[in-house]
Amino acid sequence: MDHIPITQGDEIAIEKARRGDPEAFRVLVERHARPVFRLAFRMTGNEVDAEDMVQETFLKAWKQIARFDGRAAFGTWLHRICANCSLDHIRARKRKQDLQTGNDPLPQLATGAPSPERLALSSQVTAILGPALDELSEMERAAFVLRHYEGLSIEQISASLGVQPGAAKHSVFRAVQKLRRALEPVMSMR
Amino acid sequence: MKHLSEEDLILIYYGEPGAPYGAHAHLADCGQCKAAADALAQTLDLCNEWSVPEPDAGFERRVWKYRPSRWSMPRVWIGLAAAAAVLIAVFLLGRQSSAPQTASEFNSAMAGLSNQARERILEISLADHLNRAEMLLTEISNAGDPGLLNFTVERGRAQDLVEEGRLMRQTLARQGDNPTLTFLDEVERFLIEVANSSDSVSPNVLRELQQRIGSGSLLFKVKIIESNLRTRGQKL
Repeated sequence: MDHIPITQGDEIAIEKARRGDPEAFRVLVERHARPVFRLAFRMTGNEVDAEDMVQETFLKAWKQIARFDGRAAFGTWLHRICANCSLDHIRARKRKQDLQTGNDPLPQLATGAPSPERLALSSQVTAILGPALDELSEMERAAFVLRHYEGLSIEQISASLGVQPGAAKHSVFRAVQKLRRALEPVMSMR
Repeated sequence: MKHLSEEDLILIYYGEPGAPYGAHAHLADCGQCKAAADALAQTLDLCNEWSVPEPDAGFERRVWKYRPSRWSMPRVWIGLAAAAAVLIAVFLLGRQSSAPQTASEFNSAMAGLSNQARERILEISLADHLNRAEMLLTEISNAGDPGLLNFTVERGRAQDLVEEGRLMRQTLARQGDNPTLTFLDEVERFLIEVANSSDSVSPNVLRELQQRIGSGSLLFKVKIIESNLRTRGQKL
């Protein structure tokens, strides 16, 4: 079952957290941790790293909450922080992997698929997409995840990741081209 | 017009600006480009099948629980943190008989504090406790009616508040502060009810909880007493 947060704006909790109330910040953690986890999982490709990124994201948010100006929604702000934490993380991970023999993380199956057919397709896609995403450059992966799964525009991706719009756009292009090649076997069977 | 490139089709798929002028009209007329766009869309739609595992029920609590070892406080909060450390020591006094080791730590920590300072700390910490209870009560009062409501997080917060309140009540009992103690008992009864509810509550259960908050003016009383305690504490 999806978590249904108790409905109340974030404003009161943000204001209290700004004044130094950790319990108010805890409310924000409880409300936003799952969406942040979903982004972190797509960026990092595994649950352990994703949970670390959630911690990292809230650590930064905690330290910087006084700088949150409210122009974007709090969730959007957190996602931006998470995207950057995850980008740094996968860069570091790639560097480490380059130094070692390639031990790609095993692709993880998502739980809760509604039907055997859907589960089979999802497993197939996951088995191919996970490693294919690992083959993308860090920027390509980040740009694709933000564009495709988070629905950010190229302009917003460029602002979030601190790159030129042209670079963000070409990262999305390259990611899509590579993923299309990777998913060809699945497409041909459909 | 030339056929659309893959990059043009990607921009169109995502609704991004930047596709050549007339691209949409061309796409409607050109079978070859339409087929290419459909193939692209099928592949990208397939990426949506990559779903994310749902974290377990204790995920949010875990994120919060493990923060102290890694999360440092912003500088402006250090003063508050120092006060909080003293507050903890005050409440450990209530456990003196069962935890002599802690009490000895307490004695050295509190040695320099006057009775007035101790009282002030107690008033403020009680106000903070009620403030946290107020937030929970407010959220439950304002919750909508979305079918089954996931109550895991609220239950956890209620449990924490019950534990915290118990220490405060012990301290108040030693001081003989009966009106505040009686009120904390009332708050605790409600918190225990929340803590003991199931992880998913039905709209009926939610309504009952909301009625309990409303019928005894619980939220109103929490706000008033919190405000009185804070004012008193600040004046001491």
